[in-house]
Amino acid sequence: MKGVSRNLYGVLFVVVTALLLVAPGLSAQEELAENQVLDVGVAASDLNTLDPHLAVGTQDRGAVDMVFNGLVRFKPGDMDPEKIEPDLAKSWEVSSDGLEWTFHLREGVMFHPFPGQPDGYEMTSEDVVYSIKRAANPETSAYSGSYDNVESVEAIDDYTVKLTLDKPVPSLLGLVSDYSGGFVVSKKAVESMGEDFTTHPVGTGPFAYENYVPGQKTVFTRNENYFRGEPVLQEVVWRYMPDISSRLSGLRTGELDLIEGLRKQAWIEQVKNYKGVEPVVFGPGETVTLHFNLTREPLKNIKVRKAIVYALDRATINNFYGEAITTPLYSPIPANYLGGLTKEEVMAEGLAYEQDLEKAEELLNEAGYEEGFELDVVITERESYKKTLVVAQEMLKKVGIKINIKQIDHSAYHSQIRDDVNPLVIYVCARFPTANSILTQFYHSASVVTKPTAITNFSHYGDVDADGNGTIDNVDKLIEIARTADDPDFQKALWGETQKEILSDVAAYPITTLGFSFAKKPSLEWGYDLNSTLALTPQIKWNTKLLAE
Amino acid sequence: MTSYIIRRLLVAIPTLLVVLTLVFLLVRVAPGDPATAVLGQQASREAIENLRTKMGLDKPLWKQYFDYLTGLVHGDLGKSLISRRPVGSQVLHALPFTLQLTITGVLLGSLLGIPLGILTAVHRNAMLDYLGRIFSLAGLSIPAFYLGILLMMAFSIQLSLLPTVGGGEQGDIVDLLYHLVLPGLTLGLIMTAYVTRMTRSSILNILNQDYVSTARSKGLAERIVIYKHVLKNALVPILSVLGVYSIVLIGSSVMTEIVFSRPGLGKLMVMAMKQRDYLMLQSLLTVYAGLVVIINLFTDLSYGMVDPRVRYE
Repeated sequence: MKGVSRNLYGVLFVVVTALLLVAPGLSAQEELAENQVLDVGVAASDLNTLDPHLAVGTQDRGAVDMVFNGLVRFKPGDMDPEKIEPDLAKSWEVSSDGLEWTFHLREGVMFHPFPGQPDGYEMTSEDVVYSIKRAANPETSAYSGSYDNVESVEAIDDYTVKLTLDKPVPSLLGLVSDYSGGFVVSKKAVESMGEDFTTHPVGTGPFAYENYVPGQKTVFTRNENYFRGEPVLQEVVWRYMPDISSRLSGLRTGELDLIEGLRKQAWIEQVKNYKGVEPVVFGPGETVTLHFNLTREPLKNIKVRKAIVYALDRATINNFYGEAITTPLYSPIPANYLGGLTKEEVMAEGLAYEQDLEKAEELLNEAGYEEGFELDVVITERESYKKTLVVAQEMLKKVGIKINIKQIDHSAYHSQIRDDVNPLVIYVCARFPTANSILTQFYHSASVVTKPTAITNFSHYGDVDADGNGTIDNVDKLIEIARTADDPDFQKALWGETQKEILSDVAAYPITTLGFSFAKKPSLEWGYDLNSTLALTPQIKWNTKLLAE
Repeated sequence: MTSYIIRRLLVAIPTLLVVLTLVFLLVRVAPGDPATAVLGQQASREAIENLRTKMGLDKPLWKQYFDYLTGLVHGDLGKSLISRRPVGSQVLHALPFTLQLTITGVLLGSLLGIPLGILTAVHRNAMLDYLGRIFSLAGLSIPAFYLGILLMMAFSIQLSLLPTVGGGEQGDIVDLLYHLVLPGLTLGLIMTAYVTRMTRSSILNILNQDYVSTARSKGLAERIVIYKHVLKNALVPILSVLGVYSIVLIGSSVMTEIVFSRPGLGKLMVMAMKQRDYLMLQSLLTVYAGLVVIINLFTDLSYGMVDPRVRYE
């Protein structure tokens, strides 16, 4: 017994000594800055709208992310749809046919105060039902298209919501998550405030709207009643600063804590050298893909398209963007999306099309273009788009293909490519991270840009004979079956198959994924690991904090 | 004089109308679409068409034009197509920031530029003249946004004296002035360069006149020759140039506002342009045109103050 207690004392002594030694380090590390006001510089002249169902701009997405919650949420800093976790709903069940989803809401969650409700009020199923209906309505939502298969949504009781679908939807949870239409708004606030709601959002999130100064800033203050706990930051100030040099100056002078940066290797290298500035690069990033217009001569001919992709060198194009912000892309769907093919999977099928100039010339000869040809292509002034085309222009010159580039402004570019003017379309985008979103929007025949149901199928893939064997090549069925498949492995296999079809028909050439680039003070701590987020800006959470410098 | 002012203002109406019509057409001819700006790139063509209808962009052009003019007559500039907020209140909020900035620029430019111009002219081909000319050449060639960044590097990052972000809190005069120093200095220095150059050349021109030789030959002190005879006569061309360059300065204020994130008209305009916010853009450009008309009127009125021969009939 004596021996036992002596041992116990011994152990205790060691533990206490160790704690004493470590403790100063711990407390120093955890010491908070006195001023918990976070100043963020975003690359825009002003907000567009803080209505979460209409917010599409990068400057607004990060702001609504702090104000609102969904029924479920992506793990902070991680957009893997397989790691979705409870948020306003504490649990949910789904019927065996995947058509009925029942969500059980967290009780006691309060909406932020707003005019007429100085203490806020409790969020119930009424608000959830209202929000989902609102998100599905094209009049009030930019994301209504994603809710086409929602047949009904009803409140069973104050804390239970039932959602019924007419057919299964892949990753339905995404539709009620902290992304786009999934945010839950206060019914009373929307109804009583009308259009003011766009600059005075009312939600349940860790930060509540405080005030808005047009053209300057929106101030959010901490929501002391936040259901996960009282936020550490007292205020978050969202400042609208379109010029990068002034954002960077603001960070260097200490007026700002976090800024949107430039997606350039050189910029990241530059800011690394500044004291008190830390670059931040995160995903999901935007995919850069070259789409071939399969209705145009000479691109109709698969040999010509193959010649083009064999003449291009993916690695070189990636290097022009810089390795700090790029991940080479080998398949139409990035590998970090659910259902995306990895580089190895694409290589195994021989569909990576690594550069081979001889082969390219051979293919051009076979196609009857020994002398090469010319293409007129319009492009936006945005670097992320233009760079690919300019580098490709140089590479294609070597095999006798001349690209004549005409530069127009970004808004004009987006309208012209939708009018089907370009033989080659460079498209940069981030989508909901499942294969379904990109496959449907870019490769389903209903999305062909010339149709009334058009989205962004620039290649006309699905309507034309892409490989020249006399039949129309179409992946609509594969996309549709995959969309409603209940077996995840089967679904992934179908998505894989679809991507292989697209690659072997050379409807598009995937090039790179560009990460988002920000810079922050070293003293800013997210409170989670930031790898990727659909908010397009680093998420400011209740446990995000500024440490003493 | 009152009747002159009224007449000038009445004449301004057709001018503004022409500007408005041109702008109205030009912004709509440019490719691009506000509905896509609102709904984002994932939206289907159908949703975009619906929104265009809601925005009233499917109506015939003459109808849109007529509706806009009717609103204008009633003092209503309409609502931004993108944010749905009234254009009028946004313009009113931004206007003071732009006015403060340009007025500071013009004042600083005149206070520094006129004396510097006189000095360089009087000491023609001396060291001071060379320095002054180098300074004004530099000021003429340097774009406002670049000068702004240089000043920012020096006074904000290196010396930590002045802020770089925003326009200050509305209603707090000290804070507003504090935020006005660097952008004001940016425009002020550029204006100084213009004014120095112009003052110098108009004074040199007058120094060669016979009546200056007469004044000198009758034994007047050089100081009196310069102030009484030369400067008084040089003021009319200087004032007219001041007017012209004030207008140029409004152009430079756009980039200065962007660099210093000042919430003025320029910042509003750049955003409206990117998003093809037709209503916002046509109103803003009309406001700019109005400013030009007013500056020209003030310039013309100021002639009378320095030159008694000018009469407003």
